[in-house]
Amino acid sequence: MSKRSQLLKGVLEGCILSIIKITPTYGYELSVKLQDYGLSNVSEGSIYPILLRLQKEKLIVGEMKDSDAGPKRKYYRLTEDGEISLQNFIKQWESIKEPVQSIINKGRE
Amino acid sequence: MNAKDIIKLNNEKREQLSESNKTYYEDMLMYIRLNTNKSEQQTEEVLLELLEHLLEADNNGQTAKDVFGEDLKAYCNELISEIPGEKTSKNVSFIAFLILDLIAIVSIFQGVVGYGLYLFGLGSKYFSFPIGSGLVIVIIDLIILAIWIIVILKWLKNSSFKEKKPKKWVEFLQIWLICMAFIGLSVGVFIVMPDFGNTVNIHLLAVAIIGVVLYIVKIIINNKYRITK
Repeated sequence: MSKRSQLLKGVLEGCILSIIKITPTYGYELSVKLQDYGLSNVSEGSIYPILLRLQKEKLIVGEMKDSDAGPKRKYYRLTEDGEISLQNFIKQWESIKEPVQSIINKGRE
Repeated sequence: MNAKDIIKLNNEKREQLSESNKTYYEDMLMYIRLNTNKSEQQTEEVLLELLEHLLEADNNGQTAKDVFGEDLKAYCNELISEIPGEKTSKNVSFIAFLILDLIAIVSIFQGVVGYGLYLFGLGSKYFSFPIGSGLVIVIIDLIILAIWIIVILKWLKNSSFKEKKPKKWVEFLQIWLICMAFIGLSVGVFIVMPDFGNTVNIHLLAVAIIGVVLYIVKIIINNKYRITK
């Protein structure tokens, strides 16, 4: 991922935590879900370095499990620390979402 | 799932990739695997994830560059920086295992060939060496071996992601020079080192038996802790 996307990285982290919280998810599935939500210009591969970092920080854990379709896949689930981190992200996001939007809107006028 | 099982799975699945994506993927695989100080388990898990993703993309007619970005090397570097390091205990046991393997094979060879020559009237039936200089030579040669392995791995890493593959004979010459330097140094230490310490004499058959015992120990350890398989 290029340098321009520092912002995107942080936001993407929050999104990944949110999706994994709903249900344990594997890599490709996660990327499809992000695309489905409309994050289509995020390069697909960019989730893997983030998944590695989240694992290193013990916010998520991956487990190789048999999938419904057959092949073994690495499913990620949220840890307790991950839950806390997600709550922090939501709080921060909520607090900047509106102000940033209005600033940008003002700038556009 | 153990890293060795994941490698096996990866080898099977990789065959399903299209020709061009397979070339891209194998470049990435080699480049990432060559980082020997990284956790093998984590490395293989993420490599399998990338492969699964690329297989899906393959079916949709996408290339590796569509999925991982134009600059595959930069992408791999980003991944590598996030892979946790290997545990020291694992590194130490792996190196100890390799040394055990090396000593076992050298002992068997030394014992069997030496005793064979003795039967034909060549040389003595004892393997004799000065204990002081003998140990120093072994240690220095192991260090040279380690440096050689590191140099070869670096060389391999540098050779990946080349759009224009260099000429075969140039690559051959480079590897040949590295190997010659290694062999020359290893043998050179042996020749240059003056003898010191008491001379030890061991019957060559005993050397061979020690070698066989060490080899069996090596196989048992490998089966139990799955070091190379």
